[in-house]
Order: sequence, then C-alpha cells, then structure tokens
Amino acid sequence: MPQVRIIAKNFMDMVAALPAMKLDRLYQNAFICEAILRSLQPLAKKYVIQMCYIEEPITSKSLEEWVLPGGFSKHKVAIDRLLQLRIFSESFDRTTGTSYRMNATFQINLQKLITCGAILPREPMPSNITIRLPSSQELETYALQQWECFLLQLINSAQVERMTNISPSMMRIFQRGLLTQRDKEAPRLTESGFQFLLMDTNAQLWYIIREYISNSEEIGVDPEDLISFMLELSFHETGQAYNMNTLDEIQRNTIKDLEDLGLVKLQQGRKESWFIPTKLATNLSVSLTDSSSRKEGFVMVETNFRMYAYSSSKLHTEILRLFSRVEYQLPNLIVASITKESLYNAFENGITAEQIISFLQQNAHARVAERVPSVPENVTDQIRLWESDLNRVEMTPAHFYDEFPSRDVYEAACDFARECGGLLWEDSKKMRLVVNTEVHLQMREHLRRQK
Amino acid sequence: MAPAPSKLYADDVSLLLVLLDTNPLFWSNCALPFSKFISHVLAFLNAFLRLHQLNQVVVIATGYNSCDYIYDSSSATSGSSGTGKMPVFCSKLLENLEEFVIRDEQLEKGGPGGGIASSLLSGALSMALCYIQRVFRSGPLHPHPRILCLHGSQDGPEQYVAIMNSIFSAQHSMVPIDSCYVGAQNSAFLQQASYITGGVYLKPQLLDGLFQYLSTVYATDLYSRGALQLPKSVGVDFRASCFCHKRTIDMGYICSVCLSIFCKHHKKCSTCGSVFGQQAQSDVASSSNKRKMSDS
Amino acid sequence: MASGHVMKRVKYKTSVKDPGTPGVLKMSGDRIAFIPHNPNSASKLDVNFRSVKGHKNTKEGSNKPPWLNLTNDQGGSYIFEFESYPDMHICRDYVGKIIAKSGEPAKAAPAKPDMIAPDEQINTAELEVRIKLLREDSELQKLHKQLVIGGILTEAEFWATRKRLLEREYGNKRKQRVGFKSAMISDIKPATDGRTNRVTFSLTPEIILQIFAEKPAVHQAFLSFVPNKMTEMDFWTKYFRAEYLHSTKNAIAAAAEAAEDEELAIFLKHDDILAEEARRKIRRVDPTVNIEADQGDDYTHLPDHGIFCDEAKETSEPQYELYKRTLAHDINRHAAVVLEGRSVEVELEGTKTVAEALARSKQAEAANEDSAANADQEWLKRLSRLTEIEDLQAPHNHPVAPLCIKDPRDYFDSQQANAVKILGEDPLGTAKRKSAVNSNEAFGFLRECISQVKSVGLHDPIVKSKDALQVFNALAHDISRTKYDVGKISQESALDKLPSTTKEQILHHWASIQELLKHFWSSYPITTSYLYAKVDRLKEAMSQIYPQLEEIKKSVPANHKQQVSVLVRQMHQALDSAFQHYDADQQKRSAKSDQRLNGMRE
Repeated sequence: MPQVRIIAKNFMDMVAALPAMKLDRLYQNAFICEAILRSLQPLAKKYVIQMCYIEEPITSKSLEEWVLPGGFSKHKVAIDRLLQLRIFSESFDRTTGTSYRMNATFQINLQKLITCGAILPREPMPSNITIRLPSSQELETYALQQWECFLLQLINSAQVERMTNISPSMMRIFQRGLLTQRDKEAPRLTESGFQFLLMDTNAQLWYIIREYISNSEEIGVDPEDLISFMLELSFHETGQAYNMNTLDEIQRNTIKDLEDLGLVKLQQGRKESWFIPTKLATNLSVSLTDSSSRKEGFVMVETNFRMYAYSSSKLHTEILRLFSRVEYQLPNLIVASITKESLYNAFENGITAEQIISFLQQNAHARVAERVPSVPENVTDQIRLWESDLNRVEMTPAHFYDEFPSRDVYEAACDFARECGGLLWEDSKKMRLVVNTEVHLQMREHLRRQK
Repeated sequence: MAPAPSKLYADDVSLLLVLLDTNPLFWSNCALPFSKFISHVLAFLNAFLRLHQLNQVVVIATGYNSCDYIYDSSSATSGSSGTGKMPVFCSKLLENLEEFVIRDEQLEKGGPGGGIASSLLSGALSMALCYIQRVFRSGPLHPHPRILCLHGSQDGPEQYVAIMNSIFSAQHSMVPIDSCYVGAQNSAFLQQASYITGGVYLKPQLLDGLFQYLSTVYATDLYSRGALQLPKSVGVDFRASCFCHKRTIDMGYICSVCLSIFCKHHKKCSTCGSVFGQQAQSDVASSSNKRKMSDS
Repeated sequence: MASGHVMKRVKYKTSVKDPGTPGVLKMSGDRIAFIPHNPNSASKLDVNFRSVKGHKNTKEGSNKPPWLNLTNDQGGSYIFEFESYPDMHICRDYVGKIIAKSGEPAKAAPAKPDMIAPDEQINTAELEVRIKLLREDSELQKLHKQLVIGGILTEAEFWATRKRLLEREYGNKRKQRVGFKSAMISDIKPATDGRTNRVTFSLTPEIILQIFAEKPAVHQAFLSFVPNKMTEMDFWTKYFRAEYLHSTKNAIAAAAEAAEDEELAIFLKHDDILAEEARRKIRRVDPTVNIEADQGDDYTHLPDHGIFCDEAKETSEPQYELYKRTLAHDINRHAAVVLEGRSVEVELEGTKTVAEALARSKQAEAANEDSAANADQEWLKRLSRLTEIEDLQAPHNHPVAPLCIKDPRDYFDSQQANAVKILGEDPLGTAKRKSAVNSNEAFGFLRECISQVKSVGLHDPIVKSKDALQVFNALAHDISRTKYDVGKISQESALDKLPSTTKEQILHHWASIQELLKHFWSSYPITTSYLYAKVDRLKEAMSQIYPQLEEIKKSVPANHKQQVSVLVRQMHQALDSAFQHYDADQQKRSAKSDQRLNGMRE
C-alpha cells in the first residue's frame, strides 16, 4: 500500500484530530465550513445538507431506514466521519435509541451560506490602483514554473539553476520521508519519494502543505490559524489582486512561503503591495477525493511502447526516467520508450504498475486523452504483466530432507519445522520435506537430538 | 451514444439540469406562491453547488410558449461569493428569468389566442438532453448528469410522442430524470419518465417544506444512490396518448410495424405509412387490437 | 444387424494349457460353432449363445497371444486363439453385442411388467445414469417414487421431460483423459544403495513419455540412436549423466564433458527443437503486438545518435551460455507441456512404443499446423492490410443514420392538422380558453413574484425547523413502509416463517403439481388413445392432490393460515384451470362422437 497517498489524501484527518475547542472555533469561519463540507464523502455530504435546517435531534434509526443492504458500510463511514469532525453530536435515549444533532455553529454558518452566499474578508483591489495584473495564462505558467522549480529542488538540489527562497531548514522538513541520505553520498529518493513524484499536483501540494502546517508549531505559529488561512485563501478569486494590508503578521510571513510554492504571486505597486492567488491556491479546497485537476497533459504512448512527451521541463524528464528509457531530447519533446528493463528498475524502486499507468493516463496529451483508453491497452496490460512476472517465481533458499528412519521422526521433524515457521513443503507419503535455510541449523540440532 | 464510464469524474461530481416550470397560468392558481417556490429552489441550487467545487447546474425555464436556458454555472464567473442578501448567482438567475418571462409573454401576444394550460415540457427535456450530449462529447472528463423536473402544470397530451422520445433518449444515455411535481394531480408523463429512467418521482405533501424535500431526496448524487433507498412511487400511470387525436386512452390500436398508437382504426399508419388490412368483423377477433397495460 | 455372421481361423482350447486344435470359428445368429480342420478331432463345438455368460480377452501389446475366452453358464469356458488381434477384436465385438442383446430383456422385463412402451429400448448405460440421478437428487427421487412407482406416469414419460438432464450426465461420463503429472521430471530421484557411488534411476514408461514431451531433443536422439548406435540402457545412463551435470550448475565442467562426448553434448546443449518451436509460435502472433518487429525503427543499435543508453549489458561468456539452463526455463517448458495435455493414447508399455507413438502424434500435429499455417498466413496478410495502428490514424467520425419516416411531410402535416383540430374538439378547450383570457394578468403576477424575490432576497430560514423535521419524518416513514411492503423479500420470508414440515409439504406438492401439469398440458391436443389414457391418469392423480392441499390448509396453526392459503390458492387455481380444460375437452369429444354416431345412423 503506498503510504504517501494515504497521508496526502487524509488531510482532513489532521483537521479532525484537532481538539474539540479548536474545531468549534474553526467552524466560526464560514469558509472552513464549506471546505470541510466539500471534503466529506458523498453520503456524509447528503446527511449534512438534509440536516441543515433541522434543529431537533434525528434518530439514527430514521437515517438507517434509507440505507440499502449493500450500503451500510458507507453509511457507517459517513456517520463516523461526521462524528469525528464534530459536525454531528451523538446522544443516547433509552426509548428512541441513538440520535444525532448538528453542530449549531456549523449549522448556522451553513444556513447563512445557503441563503446569503459567502462574504470574503477582503475585497479585490480596484483596478485603478493595481498596475498591469498578469493574465490568467501568465499566472498559470508562473504557478507551474514555481511549483516545478520547487519540486526539482526538493528531489535534486544540484539540478536547479534558480534556487527558491525557501529556507534550507524548511526544505529539509519537506524532504523528510521522501529522500534518504547516507553520509557523504548524494541523497536518494525513497520508495515514498518515487510515489510522491507520480502523484498528481493536488495530492503533492496537500502533502507539502500538510508538512508545512505540522511544522508550524515548531516556529511558534498556531496550526489552526494556518489551516483556516489556507482554506480561506482557496476561496479567493484567481487572478484578482488582494491588498497585503488586510493580512496580519503571521499571514504575511506565510504568504511569502506560499509564493515559492507558486500558490500566490506577489506584486509591489507604488504605495501598496498585493498578492494574486493562482489556480494552485484555489484548487486547495477541491475535494480531496477527486484526483482530477484539469491540466494539460503532455504524454502520448503508442502501441509500440514508444512514448512522446511534449515538454521542456526537466522535472518531467526526471519523472519519465523513473520508469522509461529516455532516448532523445529535443527542445520541446522527450522521446522515451518503456522497456522491460526500465520498468524492472522502477519496480525495484518501489513504484507500482498501477501508479505508472495512472500517471500516464492522468498526463495523457489532449490528442489522446479523448480516446478510450488514453493509453493503449497492450501497453497497460504489458506493464501489469511485467509486474506480475516478478512475483511469479519466488526463490527461497531451502534445504531438502529425505530418508527419515521412521514416520515418527519424520512427523516430529515436520512439526518442529512448522513451529519454527520454516516448513515450505512436505510430502508425507514419501516422507520428504523442505525447510527454509534459516531454520536449517535448528533443524539439524533437532534431528541430532532425536537420535 | 452512451458515455464510457471511464470518462466520468470519480465519485459524486454532478451536473444537474433543472427544468423550471414557469407557466403563469399554473402559478396564478397554485397554492404555493411562485416567490416562495423559487426561493426554495434557489437555496437548493446554492446548497448543491456548495457540495463540490466541480458541481454544475444548468437551469432551463419551461415556459408557456417557449423554453430557454436561463442559467449555466460553468459559464458564470464566480459562484460562491454573495452580496449579503443572496448569492450572486441567484440574482443573476432571477434577472435572466425575468427577461425570459417577458419574452415568453411577447410570444403569447403574437401567437394564436387560445392555448392549453400545460407548459412545454417536451421542449425543455430535449434541450436538457442536447446539453448533456454536448457535455458527453466535450472531453474526456465530465460530471454525472441528471435531470430534475420541477413541474406543476398538467400534462399536455399533444406532447406525448415528443416526451416519450425524450424519455427513451434519456434512458439510452443512462440519464435519470427526477421529478418533483407540485401540481394538484399526479403527472402521468413525469411518472413514466422517472420510472423508465430510474429517477425519483415525488409529489410533496407539505409545500412549505419544499427545500427539505429537495435536499433530502433530490440532492442525492448518483454515486450515493447505490447505497440509499429513495422514495418509490406506489403506482405509475402507464396510459398512452393516441397519435391521431392526442387523447389519453386505455385501449387502442397499435401499428404492427412502428408501434404507433391510435384510438380508432385507420387504413394507413400516419407515422410509417404501412397499409393495414381490412378491419375484422368483431373487435375481439381483431388482431391489431391490443390492450395497453393500465397498471404496473 | 450388419455383421450377420463371422468366420475366423482359430485354435480351440479347452483349457489354458491345452495346445489347441486348429480349425474355423463360425458365429452366426445365436450360435457359435467350431469346426476343426481335422474332421476326426473330438473337439467339435456347437453351442447356443444363450449359454454364454461372459467373455474375456487378452490385451493387445501384452506378450500373450490373442485369446478370447467365453464362459458358459455351467462355469466352463471355451478359449480361442486367433491368428491376429484384429480378428480377435471382431469376434469379441460380435460376442459382446449378442450377449448384451440376449441378456437385456431378461434383466429388464421382471422389473417393469407392462409399463414399457413396445418401442422403448433402454440400454444399461442409460439405466445407470437414471439411477445415479435419482440417488443424487432426493427431490427427484421423491417425485419419481410418487409418480412412477405410483403408476401415474411411465418410466419413459417421466424421463422424456428430463432429456437434458440425462444428456448432461452422459456428457460428464465421457472418459477423462489422463494428462501429464504436474510434478517436474527433475523430481525423479535416484535410489542409492548407500555403500557404493552407484545410483539407480527407475524409469516407468510414463516418466519416459514425459521426458520425451518436455525435451524434444532427447526424443529425437532416442529415435535416431537407440536401436542402432547404443542400447537403451546406455542412452538413459548418458541422459542422467547430463542431468547430473546440470544439477551441479557447473557450466564449465559441462562444456568440458560435452567436448569429449558427442552424444552427451546433445543433452547438455540448449534444445534446438524447443527454440524452433518457440519461434514458430511467435510467428503466429499478430505482428502489431510483436515488439521485435519494429527493430528497423529503433536507432538504439547505432552509436552516437543522440541516444541515451543507460542499461549496461549483462556480461557473460557466450561459449558457456550454451550450457546454462535456468530453473525458470525448466518450469516454463514443463508448464507448457502439462497445459498442452497428452495427445498420445497408448498403453504405456515399452519405451520404444512410447517414443514412436509420440513421434507419430507430433507428425500429425505438424501436418495439421502446416495446413493451418497456410490459412493462417493468408489471414495474417489480410489482417495486416486491414489493421490500422490506431494511434496513427485520424479520429473516425461515425456517420449518423437519419431517422427514417417514410414521408416526413405526411407525418408532420397530419400531426399539425390533428393538433389544430383538437383545440376545437376538446371539451376542456373552453375552460382553457377562459384561463387564456387572463394570461396577461398571469404573466404580470409571475413577474411580480420574481422581482419580489429579487428585492427581498431569500427568506432566512428557508424552512422552519419544525416543517423540515416533519417532512423528513414523513419521507423516512414512507421509505420504511415501501421497503417491507413490496419486493420479493416479503414472499420469501413468508415461506420461511412457516413450520418446516408444512413448508416441505407445500414445496413437495408444488413440485409434483408442476410435474403433473407439465405432462397434462403437453399431451394436448389428444391425438391417440394412448394420450387419452395418460390424461385420464393424470387427472385422477391431480384430483387426489386437491384434497391433500385442503388438509394442509386446515392443519396449519392459525397465525400462518393466511400465508398458506395464499400459496395454496395459487396451486388450486392452476389445478382448476387444468380440470376445466379437461372437462371442456371431454364435452367436445363426446359431442363429436355423438355427431359421428348420429351421422352413422343417418
């Protein structure tokens, strides 16, 4: 099971783990309520929305009435999540059984959201003050550039021409878990590091943000403030300028870090300075269960295992090199081929076939993305086959025992080997058995004792 | 062309096409004032949009003389922010709705004087299905579409063929048609539409709680419907309208070639042009006389 | 019978040790006669087949001469030695047929006195299948007992409706062919005597067949060497020597030995035939899948071409490569052979026969393949012309088939005309017209509503908590009601709730009613007097079940009465309709016969 993926997906676990008081305080912010609502499972969303105007407690029985026999596990997960996030509170009555009531703060905020819409804490600045705002195209390129630069620095600091302003100590925190470094050697990617690279941008971003927040306590910032600021930021409008004066001290520091990640762009006017959220920031509150960021793909895979990647990014080359053999590099094109050897390399590094395939599918070039399947079936099948090939024959060094003097001795030996956990095979008819080499010595001891 | 499931977004991202009945003749006689109705609906739409960033709403007004798209959340710039009174998109929707009603009224003055108190459901359904087809073909990723008919006017039997065609088209592209009927009697068309496409038909008893009906039943996305039991209608009115006089009939004649329904014996099928043989002496022996099922 | 009589030269023996009297064996009709060449011989024979109770014969391939041994009812036996096996087989088959024929009626007749229709012929095999089916399916057995033993249906009628069942059972009974063992041949363990260094391998024909199948080269070598160049013993000794060398995994030693001994080398080198076979298989693969096929497209073999080539080739000494064989290799080959199955059907005796049989089957296979290959080749050619490599093609735009209405004008005009016409006709039309009068007001009202909402905004709260709760509870109540009211679940649970004896009774009755009804309805229209009698019998049986159902209904405890009566009612209905039909038919029949009688009189 890819460990990183779980961590990245369950950002909301971090929120749920906050103490009750802090959670209640978080819910006073309508944006957080909305972001949390979006992060829930579909069934939980439905429960929240139908409870939105009901102030009285609802019995669990009346909720369960709706659930089909096959859906009970989903129902259970949804309710557990709601209780965990303290959106629902549970009470028990002898006559009616368990019943749920919605968190009052959350409920009021949600009602307000529904009838009035949400109001941002800051207005976009009028266009006569701001000079020359970047177009959405420019902004997107900027964001991607920043992000790639950051990633490249993260995995391979030697390759970067332009260093980001993120402090080395912060960088080391991000690298924790993704890279290992034995002294004097160049750092190597760990298994989760490889998997991290193949995740889509949103998931990567959440992983980084999560690390960032969990580290914030060390520098004396309340993680709760950070969480609420991040979520709030995600509701700002892409491409609009917002005055820096509206931010407090901590937020201003944070936003500088976020610029390095490509989440916002900072601009300085004559008197004022402002920040412009990019798509990366506004995508933060996209439901984490959804792995679809609508970005342009660049990879085309052909049925002959040749791969064309229309990209000039070094990061992309690095990623493709994880599982394919790069053959040519032209200014805007990388030609690589997926070979058995290159894939075996990837598998050795702990990348799974499914990850490679989903990477190819998610980054399929617009031309092939329309097709079903976007990656030729023979290629995906072959990748899976090669992976399963590795698991076909398992070699275990073993010792073979034969010609036992009697059945009793044989059976005692079998039992002994089984107890040691080293019995690989037995043939009671012919009195033969095979044991793992690890227990060979003990086994010999045992047999000697028998004599 | 049915969409390949792999093209869909994961989970619960939905495209909701709302067909809003704006028949003035109905609303002027309805127990539920239109202002209340529309505010419940707007609140529901807002709540629906809050559920997922990628959720999309398209509202089609089903008018008396025409129908038109009045709101599409994918083309609007910002959905979430509000003016304090109501979400921005609501005021936008209301503006469009007002313009639509004025246009609809002008058509009324220009057209023939008389009419039937039903709105153009068939037209709105077709528009919704066209929109869905466009979404299906637009790209590799698209949300799960479903149609919600918020209807109150009575059925117009003259639209029978067109509506049935739309229903079958929806069934073919696996788009469920939910219907919430706020009128006095049950609507046979909508019952059939929901029954055939696997949607939910509901006639709210307590109109003051319309929002609760909408949020409890119709907010359920297709993904969650796999785990939940939604209200089932007890009986469906399966009666058909004849093709010749648009009457709702219990028994009739069916063309053996194209299955067109007629209330009287014809020499020739008006749909496919097949020539029928002599009508048999007695009705019982007539081979072309088939009983339509009138119950489930 | 085609073979009316058989005549063969044989030697007749009265016992196994008897040298035998040469003569002619004649079998015709129901008699066996032996006429010795020497007319004076006492061993003349003429017996009726009825006295013959069984026959035995020696097996082909054993070292015994072809003998046929007939046992008579007194316990004695007649032994005939034939000149060849085919002769013996013909006679044996003939005897077998005759015995089967004469034995059958004797066996079958007492069991079923007069039930069997004259044209029915059951062979023992079918009888066995039936018995087996009955034994396995207790419900079927119950039904059989009730209906057949009870004399309502005949055996044949009962089984006629279950032909499918019988056939399936027949199909299953086909002899299962023995495949190769899944154990690897490397498992053949030598036996050591412990004192000397000698090892002894014991080979069975089965193992040999497996070795031949898995290692074509060994097979080839055996065919070419064994009778002429070396003895079989030597051959196998060499083979196991080679195997031993392999197991030591010492490629260099193996190479050295191979250099000295030519024959040994054959076992040590890679199997060329195998490689050839593999190549042949690859050739049959669709060319678009073959990765090797586009080698021309690959520039990796050209140096300095802007190409990254970051895999270091595995270095190995080519001359020893030949003698290396991996375990995975062996497993692969073994798996392939086991999956292919055994195509040779021989009695496993003698290595020679095994080798030859395998060679024959291989040849046949190859011949098949050749003819298939030609067809394949053509098919491939056509395929390669037709197959487009999809990602190199422009996307297809599928043509749209227009909806075909024969004459669109006709259709739409009639629609239009009807729609206009209805306005005048419809009795409701007037009411609508009235409402249309104030449509202006209505539109005005609607606009007013909209602008009202626009100015005031949405009510807060949209719904009162009380209303919301009421609606939710009503919906939840609705759900729970529909959940238990409709659907199959309720039906099943009704049956499950009943006491088990009642349930069983009902199920049993239901099964027998169904069986009876099936026969009843299938015998209509009644064309023969046989069917007429059958229907009478069936009706009688059904009318007996009728009161039994009533009894069940009465005996059930009060709380289940309603459910049972629902179930029983359905059965009654089914029976009633059958009775009705019977009566109606009966009346028609009597009316007809009356008419006929009248006609006759007139």
